[in-house]
Amino acid sequence: MTDGGLLLLGVIGFVVGVVGALTGIGGGVVLVPLVALYYGLPMHEAVGVSLVSVIATSTATSALYVEQRITDIRLGMTLELATTLGAFLAALLAHHIDRRTLALMFACFLSYSAFSMTGKAWRSRKREEEEPLTGYTIRNYPLGMAASLLAGGFSGLLGIGGGPIKVPVMHHFMKVPLRVATATSNFMIGVTAATSALVYWGHGDIKTSVAAPLVAGVFSGSLLAARIKHRVHTFYILILLIAITGWFAAQMFYKVATGGFR
Amino acid sequence: MNRESAATDQALALTLKIGAYSSFVSILAGMIFGFILPFGNKIIEIGFLILLATPGLRIVVAGIQFLREQEFKYVAISAGVLAVIVTAYVLGIRA
Repeated sequence: MTDGGLLLLGVIGFVVGVVGALTGIGGGVVLVPLVALYYGLPMHEAVGVSLVSVIATSTATSALYVEQRITDIRLGMTLELATTLGAFLAALLAHHIDRRTLALMFACFLSYSAFSMTGKAWRSRKREEEEPLTGYTIRNYPLGMAASLLAGGFSGLLGIGGGPIKVPVMHHFMKVPLRVATATSNFMIGVTAATSALVYWGHGDIKTSVAAPLVAGVFSGSLLAARIKHRVHTFYILILLIAITGWFAAQMFYKVATGGFR
Repeated sequence: MNRESAATDQALALTLKIGAYSSFVSILAGMIFGFILPFGNKIIEIGFLILLATPGLRIVVAGIQFLREQEFKYVAISAGVLAVIVTAYVLGIRA
């Protein structure tokens, strides 16, 4: 690979790491279209490198949330039973799905993410009311497990973290405080992505020459972002992210419709 | 929350930190030394293996902590998650 390509991947990784850690969005939702549309990686390889980057973001940032005791590790590990199972089955399945179908599914998920982030941006406008982080009673475990199985499946198939699926279910139906739900989802992503990444690694879909500069960028980006997080207003970043994911979704739909992704 | 679970949180945070930093450093070192040393790619691969293994290691550390605190329900859950990961690993390298 040329040094220019190495640098480009490093910069892409850095931006994804910063944005991911600031907004609590895993980053896969931006990374996969970036490397598939502009770097020309085949969908399966794009998903493979994205999974590795998602593990990097989750590991680097969840260390901080666990240390601050925001993460509910017991809830996280219970739901991980479902996310890892979903991720594992989906990763096996992904190998039998053709690139165009995968790209189409990704474009649909992008649209859903843009929609779900709009709600998140709307809420972040208001000053966050202080929600107690302890003393809640978790409800609706079966629904939480089902959502986790689905989130794990999408993670293994599309190389994303699955936060937009898990966080709303944990918050609205399991009655977990939003910050706890976000931190716990982030905590689960590392294990979930690692499960499917092992399958992609076995299939040779994770190219270290592409993944190394990306992951190095993601690590530096998320470590930096974790330090400046409380000084940045996430509202504007979310608006930017909604515009970007909307644009990516449109481009992917267009490319699928005009016979791309073969 | 009791004091024991604080110990579990600290142990997990430390595991994640060590995993994150050591894989970051070896991937970075492999990329830098790759230009002058023949085994740069090996260092990068070790970095990726650390990255992929850290979540599994985190499960093991959690399982041990739960065992020490006699929270057997969560020992079983940790073992279950680990079983899925190991299955993925075994089938992954075969496929």
